[in-house]
Amino acid sequence: MKIVVPGEILVDKPVRMADSYIENGNTYSEVVGLFHETEMRLVALEGAYLPMDEDYVVGVVEEVKFAGYNVEINSPYSAFLSTKDTRFQFEMGDVLFAKVKGVDEVKNVNLFDARKLQGGEIVQISPVKVPRVIGKKSSMLNMLIDATKSEIYVGKNGRMWIKGGDSSLAARSILKIEKEAHMSGLTDRMKDFLQKESGGNNKV
Amino acid sequence: MGGGTNKPVLFVDGKRLDGRDIDELRPIKIKASVLHRANGSCYLEWGENKIMAAVFGPRECIPRHRVDPYSAVINCRYRMSPFASLDEHSKAGPSRRSTELSKVIREVFENVVIGSKYPKTAIDISMEVLQADGGTRCAAITAASIALADAGIPMKDLVCAVAVGKIDGKLAIDFSKIEDNYGNADIPIAVSSRNKEILLLQMDGLMTKDEMSQAMDMAINASDKIHALQVEALKEVYTRKAQDKPDEQVS
Amino acid sequence: MEILDEIKKDYVRDLLQKGKRADDRKLDEYRKITLERNPLSSAEGSAICRLGNTQVLVSAKIDAVEPFADRPTEGVLSTNCELLPLAFPAFESGPPSEDSIELARVVDRGIRSSETLDLNSMVIEGGEGKVWGVYLDIYVLDYDGNFFDASTLAAMSSLMSASFPKFEDGKVIHEPAKPLGLKSKVVSCTVSNFGDKKVIDPSYDEEIAAESRITIATTEETLCAMQKGKRGSLTKDEVLGLIDIAFQKGAELRAYL
Repeated sequence: MKIVVPGEILVDKPVRMADSYIENGNTYSEVVGLFHETEMRLVALEGAYLPMDEDYVVGVVEEVKFAGYNVEINSPYSAFLSTKDTRFQFEMGDVLFAKVKGVDEVKNVNLFDARKLQGGEIVQISPVKVPRVIGKKSSMLNMLIDATKSEIYVGKNGRMWIKGGDSSLAARSILKIEKEAHMSGLTDRMKDFLQKESGGNNKV
Repeated sequence: MGGGTNKPVLFVDGKRLDGRDIDELRPIKIKASVLHRANGSCYLEWGENKIMAAVFGPRECIPRHRVDPYSAVINCRYRMSPFASLDEHSKAGPSRRSTELSKVIREVFENVVIGSKYPKTAIDISMEVLQADGGTRCAAITAASIALADAGIPMKDLVCAVAVGKIDGKLAIDFSKIEDNYGNADIPIAVSSRNKEILLLQMDGLMTKDEMSQAMDMAINASDKIHALQVEALKEVYTRKAQDKPDEQVS
Repeated sequence: MEILDEIKKDYVRDLLQKGKRADDRKLDEYRKITLERNPLSSAEGSAICRLGNTQVLVSAKIDAVEPFADRPTEGVLSTNCELLPLAFPAFESGPPSEDSIELARVVDRGIRSSETLDLNSMVIEGGEGKVWGVYLDIYVLDYDGNFFDASTLAAMSSLMSASFPKFEDGKVIHEPAKPLGLKSKVVSCTVSNFGDKKVIDPSYDEEIAAESRITIATTEETLCAMQKGKRGSLTKDEVLGLIDIAFQKGAELRAYL
């Protein structure tokens, strides 16, 4: 595992990998990232959210139109939710959780299965860190929910919606995961953190 | 450029005014990720130059008529602060010079940024020269390259830049302001780190073809040193964040 | 970004009802303050103030200038502000915005009306009528609320680190010759108001959620400038209470200078 920078050679043969490009038979990095040589995997350390089919996102309605809604999804591209594809009625500023489908080559993004999220609060982290909040087989997320008793919706776009329970602890935990995403032993550290913090609250 | 009446001796026993060799750079300090609001940022000190660069984006492209359906558009703003030099307090706002430099710097990054990944968006690069001591455009390009990488913008390569000049008929790298004032030529050059492709080249002054060739060699050689510092700065961010240390002070 | 602001507003207000702030500060607690003195050598004085995530650079550059025609024996103080595009996604290049003009003028008023800088002693000896001009440039580098207090701290610090340059043979030589002889240390204290809750040193989220904002600049002894902002109103008693806070916090802030 090593840190690489844009233009740095990853392997001296052509390999298809996210955030890399091939030139003259070699593969180079496009980003600052962590390169896992054995698995031939490159993980960018920063980056904007690019919507992909099947992603779930937390969005905010930014415009109500005749045929549907324009939804801001923490991406350079806003998404469209057709009134035909949802049973909810939304207003400007409403928060929703929805699935991305049908992203075309000019980045028109459509949403399906939208559900309205009422109340609660939103925490925003870097989209590249989202997998760490979820953890292997959702282990991290389940631990958070157990410890805080909060309702948590995780958007692939880096946006988390939290409601109920110790929502302030849930929010702080997510920000801590974002900050320490690339360190080893994250799960253990979060376990300790949650124990200490929720224990502390009980005493008060 | 141009001469003054009291021209200092710029060259003594093969050494320059500040004791540097012909091919020696001034000290360069780079720190990435220094601003919290920008998507990527960099503070760079290069001799007495002090530059702050930041990147926002990719984000929605405004105004709409500038949208490129196939690629991100890049906007560049290079600005000299009114307090940047020891000369008198200058007027704030864009000058003809900063407008030109903003354009040529934009063209540098249009080359290396992989804009096709984010069609219809804009990437905004801001470079503020807080203190100037010759070679600010090169320092700004070097800093902006780091700010872009820090923002996670996909790029084919990092870019570094340095100027070569001519003093008393001899070529030398990385002029300070005083050398620039009395030098006979100024050639800012930006290159891609890996392929050494020249992405920015400007020249004024009198030069022969051989001298130009030598100047480009000097810039390309120096680019390796600058690139090493850039890589170090980017990796330092990673270790800084990993160690969960509160950010140190700028400078 | 802006669309999220609405949601943040509710969150900030809900927390405040419970007497809490998003970053766990007390209602009257400043964020961490650091002052970096003289980061620039091109100006007579300069300072960077960091107030939490907010970062402001102020340069104090001094030149020989012609005095204003109606005040031939007074020096010139000029304050300018740039909300740099690198500080915030919505700050744009171009002519100064209302916000940047307001910020420059509030900082200028505090310093000018305190008379900490004695404009009457700024005529240059042997300068054929020229006087010293002090140019304060406020550069907001990173914005997370309360640029007023950060700018005033940095401006004051930059003045304290500056000296008048030398003047020889009709020319300015940028070497320290004479201290500015400042008479007092001006600081400002900014408060965001949410009904009966007052929040000192508001973050960006708190600023946008607040009903009103007030900035109070003080010297050790007196008030020297005030500015209320935003739509909400304040009662006389509230203002008086805030003045007490401004003096109390002012002493705290002055310790950083």
